[in-house]
Amino acid sequence: MNKSYLDYFLKIRLPIILFVALASLTFTYYVSRAERDGVGYAPEQPIPYSHKLHAGMMGMDCQYCHTGASKSRHAMVPPLSTCMNCHTIARKNMPNIIRLTQYYNEGKLMPWKRIHKIPDYAYFNHSVHVNKNIPCQQCHGNIQELDVVKQANSWTMNNCISCHKNAPELLANIPGIKKGPVNCFACHR
Amino acid sequence: MEPSKTNNSESKYWRSLRAYHNDPSVDDAKAREFAKEVTDGFDVDAMSPMSRKQFLALVSASAAFAAAGCTNYRDKGAIVPYIKKPEEITLGKANYYASTFVDNGQEYGILIKTREGRPIKIDGNPDHPVNKGKIPARGQASILNLYDPERLKDPMVVESGILSKSSWKDVDASIIAALSAAVKEGKEIAIITHTITSPTAKKVLNDFTAKYPTAKIYSYELFNDLNRRSAWMKSTGDRSAGTVTPAFPLIKWNEAKIILALESDFLGYEGNIAEQTRMFVENRNVDNAKNISRIYSADGTMNSTGMNADYRLRVRPDRQLEFVLALINEFAPNGKASLKDFAAKNGLDAADVKQLVKDLSENKGKSIVHAGNALPESVHIAVNVLNEILGNSALYNKEQSSVEYVETSKNDEWEALINKMNGGKVGVVIHFDSNPVYHLASDYGYAEALKKVGSVVTLAEMQNESSAASNYVLPINHAFESWGDHKTRTGIISLQQPVISPLYNSRQKEALLLAWTVSAAAFTETLYHEYLMTRWEKEVFPAMKSSVDFKTFWYSALHDGVVTFSETAQAFGKATSDALNTVAPVSAANDFVLYLHDNYFVGDGRYANNGWLQEMPHPASKIAWDNYAAIGVATSREMGIDENSMIEVSVGGRSLKLPVHVQPGLSDKFIAVMLGYGRTVSGTVGTGVGFNANLFMSKSASLSPWLYSGVTVTKTSDKYLLASSQEHHQLDDTFLKDIHKKRDIIQEGTVVQFLADPKFLEKEHSGSTIIPKIKYDGVKWAMAIDLNKCTGCGVCTLSCNVENNIPVVGKDQLGKGREMAWIRIDRYFSGTSEAPSVSNQPMLCQHCDSAPCENVCPVIATTHSPDGLNQMAYNRCVGTKYCSNNCPYKVRRFNFYDFRSEFNDGIQYQQPLNMLHNPEVTVRSRGVMEKCTFCIQRIMEGRELAIENGTVFDGSGVTVACQEACPADAIVFGNMNDKNSEIYKYRHHEIGYRVLEEINVAPNVTYVAKLRNVESQTEKA
Repeated sequence: MNKSYLDYFLKIRLPIILFVALASLTFTYYVSRAERDGVGYAPEQPIPYSHKLHAGMMGMDCQYCHTGASKSRHAMVPPLSTCMNCHTIARKNMPNIIRLTQYYNEGKLMPWKRIHKIPDYAYFNHSVHVNKNIPCQQCHGNIQELDVVKQANSWTMNNCISCHKNAPELLANIPGIKKGPVNCFACHR
Repeated sequence: MEPSKTNNSESKYWRSLRAYHNDPSVDDAKAREFAKEVTDGFDVDAMSPMSRKQFLALVSASAAFAAAGCTNYRDKGAIVPYIKKPEEITLGKANYYASTFVDNGQEYGILIKTREGRPIKIDGNPDHPVNKGKIPARGQASILNLYDPERLKDPMVVESGILSKSSWKDVDASIIAALSAAVKEGKEIAIITHTITSPTAKKVLNDFTAKYPTAKIYSYELFNDLNRRSAWMKSTGDRSAGTVTPAFPLIKWNEAKIILALESDFLGYEGNIAEQTRMFVENRNVDNAKNISRIYSADGTMNSTGMNADYRLRVRPDRQLEFVLALINEFAPNGKASLKDFAAKNGLDAADVKQLVKDLSENKGKSIVHAGNALPESVHIAVNVLNEILGNSALYNKEQSSVEYVETSKNDEWEALINKMNGGKVGVVIHFDSNPVYHLASDYGYAEALKKVGSVVTLAEMQNESSAASNYVLPINHAFESWGDHKTRTGIISLQQPVISPLYNSRQKEALLLAWTVSAAAFTETLYHEYLMTRWEKEVFPAMKSSVDFKTFWYSALHDGVVTFSETAQAFGKATSDALNTVAPVSAANDFVLYLHDNYFVGDGRYANNGWLQEMPHPASKIAWDNYAAIGVATSREMGIDENSMIEVSVGGRSLKLPVHVQPGLSDKFIAVMLGYGRTVSGTVGTGVGFNANLFMSKSASLSPWLYSGVTVTKTSDKYLLASSQEHHQLDDTFLKDIHKKRDIIQEGTVVQFLADPKFLEKEHSGSTIIPKIKYDGVKWAMAIDLNKCTGCGVCTLSCNVENNIPVVGKDQLGKGREMAWIRIDRYFSGTSEAPSVSNQPMLCQHCDSAPCENVCPVIATTHSPDGLNQMAYNRCVGTKYCSNNCPYKVRRFNFYDFRSEFNDGIQYQQPLNMLHNPEVTVRSRGVMEKCTFCIQRIMEGRELAIENGTVFDGSGVTVACQEACPADAIVFGNMNDKNSEIYKYRHHEIGYRVLEEINVAPNVTYVAKLRNVESQTEKA
């Protein structure tokens, strides 16, 4: 190997290789970040239920269906009987409502696709957040404007903590809101 | 007698005989965090040649390819909602249902906690007038039996020698045919049952016998009170034989100033433990020190009551009669026996005996002498007379008495049955959830006789020795899947309701009999439920004179789980001294005496397949997963028998080889063996655990079925390793810098000392530390354990196991010191090895303010919370075990394996055992450290509730699992910054101390020092 090639390799080739490798890694890391965190995940549901129609245009309260939100850790996907409260009469001739009625009458289970999930070792609780008047949209985005629900925010520990640390600034419109707990036992047990 | 260990250079307290004899291995063990052998089995060379990194790389690569190639990696599964949600269910919130737990003829009102329809925890029903919110250890662990993967799942029939699956329809038809045939041929139908506590079940049995007139009911318990009953009959002459009436009075333990327990473990395994413990500790309150009761125990074994006694006299069970007669002579002289002579002959401390006589005579009408169930009838008669002489019948409960439905069958009834069986005069035998093949004395020859019976039907939850000898094996519902009512006391009926629909194709045992009584087609899921309600509507409801209609009454009764009403109690006559004439003097035996006794956890063997119960160490010996022959220290020395060697014990031709445990405090020339072990058919967990000592039992026992003299003991060269936790996790008490100073892990005093100077324990603490003190302004959690109340029963440990998803590790892992329980009971002896006194101390994470474990964690997996909790984040832990190494209390537990998959071929991962887990607590896997969290899930629940109600969370209303379960209410938990809380009071108690306080870790568990109620100022060693 002659001296000039080594010189060229060390001064030019190697830095370029390193730069390209690092740059592509960094680029991929950041570009794929959202997808890896599940942001934008909007699977097709067995029945194309629209939050925009129900919560947005008709202005139904979130907790009419998600009854657990203020009482329990789970907001709860409503039982089919909740749908049927209205849909025994409302729009009962629409094809999707006919399918819904079929599920209900035949006792078939409705396999809604799960969109939001935090890991098993984190114990999130809806009621403590809802009862502190934190709006659903804070985490779920402007769900009342969506026909198809998608995950709006990344749900990493980083995101939880940043809100817990900066609650008074982030939620300035809620009077008296305090910082959330940031100790391990708050979520992990 | 050896000198007591009180010289200055050594600790006064010891946990094992090795420590007592200053074995250097003990100091070595104390200086280590884990037992030496704890890393055994981790020989790198013996493991797979593939390195962990290679393995992980392979696994992750294949997983990545699989995930990328085959599945939608963003898919998070489905959420399937209810179609119609039951109104009472909110996902994520627990529901509680009142029901009843029955154990050995005792009823306990319980609350079953269910989550999303599955039971996950049981605690006592606070509204139940008998057990008032507390249940024994077996009750806590019984939930494991519900989910036992080895339960019977379908009815089984023996066809040409092979047990095969059948259907209820076929089984019902052929059993009804067999029953009808038996009646036609005039053959007997024998129903063999344990104690019946349910009046409705009794009615079912009555209906059955009305339909099949040749049916006869036999009832038994391995541990029964027949001796006590017959003694009451003989001493009062009250009871005509054959009528079913309560046979002895209940005792008002809470009014007793002096208790003399004769081989009676009323704090451990005899009677209603929850009730007795509660009543007993009422008078062990330090804040009312003047009225602290005094308890004497005279026993040969080292049992819970003896361990808690202020004075313990070593009296061998066969000499109890002599002892009681000598005591009677002190109060009503008859010249027959002399207490002085007795004391001298048996090596009892003359001063102690004198004190006992003084106390009994000064507390006439306020003391009680109580003999254990296993003692011969003659002792019970003498005790009844003694209590009458002392006026102690004032402590017999006159408002309430016990109720019985089917009398325990006596010796002659069993012999008659077996003769009939052998003579072919028995057509059908029904084992009504009972296991007589295992339980009945072997010389009845029951198993042989059973072969001559045409149809043997066993109703059981699991395969057992009797089902193995049956033609029909029928699965029955667990108690949590069953309806029922139970009445064991006058004026109280407890209700039992199912909280989960049957997991398998099983039926309730009463419903089976009902269906056979009516017709096979009559069976429906609700058959017994309706029968129960009908009986209540017709027979119970009218007598209640309730102002509401039956439905309302019934639902409110189910809600409460218990119905109380006024009912007159059975009256008892006086025990007359004439009764003593029937007592034959027992000649004092000089050879070995064998005493068979109940055990604290697996009971009569019914809970053998329950790993949690098998793994609970015996309160005195700390041995788990085995029974053994306990012998005294002097005897072992005399015979040259060591721990873990085997001896052959024989009585009247029946002999068995047993491993030896040398038990400090045991009588001389005395062998104590626990029954309930050595099951041969009891699932994969319970089969072959321990030795079946039932074979020593004889139908013609001269003293009592549990007590035998004329025992020969021979040494053998065999060895057997007992797994004991007694030397595990010993706290290091040699103070490195200041070797003269004692660490005072146990601090005790006497009542007299306390009354003279309530601050006798107070010491100066330097309190200097290099770590800055953190101020806790808000809620600050703390616990206090009152050692005056703690009896060392271990219910806290089991409650914690259930609440916090603690796995069973098995005998071999336990032997290596890898037990996982978060709260253990440390048992310390002090004094001589022949007659030690015992101190119990529950030990758990102390949640130190300056926790040494937190400083050393390289990955910050264990940190401190602003409310004073020492937190553990499992998903951060990489398993260096450094924290544990630095913990002075040795309370951190490491998952050396994924014990759920390691123990017994992964039975704990089998369905449906996953339903047992508390969903609020992570199920830990291999390689992470864990420890007590002060039940963080319950604290968070309290916090959530406060936020929901918009109130300030001040820490009130949070109970931790051990506290909730403690039958003695010895554990207090709460916010120590709240000046009105109970914990605040305990935290600043005059005789409260913190263990290892002097090393400035600032522990948050306060122990209230035990006060022994002895006469002298100083402690009795």
